Amino acid sequence: MFSVDVSNGLHEELEALALKNKARAIGVALHDLETGFRFSLRGDRWFHAASTIKVAVLLAVFRAADAGRLQLDDSLHVRNRFFSAADGSLFRVSQDRDATPELYAAIGRTTKISALAHAMICGSSNLAANLLLDFVGVEYARTVLREAQVDGVELRRGVEDHGAHERAINNEATADGLLSLLSAIRGDFLTPESKREVIRILLEQRFNSMIPAGLPPHATVAHKTGEISTACHDIGIVYLPEREPYIAAILTEFDSEREGRRETVAAISEAIYRSLLRTEPKSNED
Amino acid sequence: MRTEFLRPIDGLRLVEEYRALLRPGESEAGANGTVHRLPRFFYEIGSWEEAHEIRLAPHFTLAELMLVDCREARLLLGQFPHYVPCVIVLLARLLEDFRREVDAPVFISANGGYRSPAHQIGGAGSIHAWGTAANIYRVGDTFLNDVKSIGKYGAIAASLSPAVFVRPYGLEREQTNDHLHIDLGFASLTPRECSDAS
Repeated sequence: MFSVDVSNGLHEELEALALKNKARAIGVALHDLETGFRFSLRGDRWFHAASTIKVAVLLAVFRAADAGRLQLDDSLHVRNRFFSAADGSLFRVSQDRDATPELYAAIGRTTKISALAHAMICGSSNLAANLLLDFVGVEYARTVLREAQVDGVELRRGVEDHGAHERAINNEATADGLLSLLSAIRGDFLTPESKREVIRILLEQRFNSMIPAGLPPHATVAHKTGEISTACHDIGIVYLPEREPYIAAILTEFDSEREGRRETVAAISEAIYRSLLRTEPKSNED
Repeated sequence: MRTEFLRPIDGLRLVEEYRALLRPGESEAGANGTVHRLPRFFYEIGSWEEAHEIRLAPHFTLAELMLVDCREARLLLGQFPHYVPCVIVLLARLLEDFRREVDAPVFISANGGYRSPAHQIGGAGSIHAWGTAANIYRVGDTFLNDVKSIGKYGAIAASLSPAVFVRPYGLEREQTNDHLHIDLGFASLTPRECSDAS
């Protein structure tokens, strides 16, 4: 009964937020580990994944480490040279769009895989993401997603592959899919050591103007944002000291470069928080 | 030039697990039907400290020419001794000549010097397995990642000796696009104290 009320109320509030902020579309998925409450608003709608796809790469890297295919302490040659998923043509990622200039200083040399994983998530480094994806392989990463039973996340290529984008070869995801990806990370798909490390990396996220901005200061969030011209997303595990965490995936689509996109995601995050904190624990539902 | 750490060894006398990876003196067929013998004589390097201290030429240490990433065979990556073909001293000499011509620091990329035949990039099919090739990714402040810079510095390298081969800029096999590849062909070196007899 409480879940139905929360679900209806949240649904209405999120729709109103989307309308007010002129979002072209929103997709929201939620799983409260305190109560078991699940919510999905257009959770099966596909969006351009933007940088949220890096969480899938992160899962693949740590799965590969668990399987002995690589060691996180291993060093990888840093080179800014990638080949398009469309036609094999050469492309490079732009340093101007990367928050990890230190990684560009390492071009030609080597950097540890663990440092690349950290840069890929915390600084959303496109260079790190493509290096790691090149190393583990797109097919391997897709296999890992299948093994983790993550539907709704289509990893097809590296980032900044404009040639592939022009041919509509994109990384795409649904809110439900990204929620299941975070659930796999929080579950037992990875070894306990890898799970701890992945969550630690996600907790060190540097871009905190979306999900965390809608939460009280005592909340901590293991999350990953994703933004391109029309897409603005944040997906994360929200930790509150007084209760079990909840997992949220908030995907939005706007007209190109529209202002107020992050604020909209933050407002959705706040709405989710307020709704859940009013929800009764699962044990009281019967 | 500090070379007192250089200890030449006959690869055929190495233990089996190293011989399996380094394949000393084995024949390797090239893509165009040519056959070449992989290096047989190596310098044995005891530690990274040694590799950094061994100055093969005034501006090049051995460490710069043996830095590889995790695509190298685990045994050759994670523990010492390491082995590098003796001919690497001639490669360093070539690089020193190149540096003199360009009058600027020359940077060799990771995986850009000697790689073993077991390395995942190229394997024994790569001339890097002979220790005669270098990938230069930067000269001074210039990154060699376009047709102009690779062409300019490639021409300088090629002018140093008829024995020098330079790969042109491009996306095809035997072309490069984020470094300048230079090599001395399938040269090998037998140290004076070693014998080519089996």
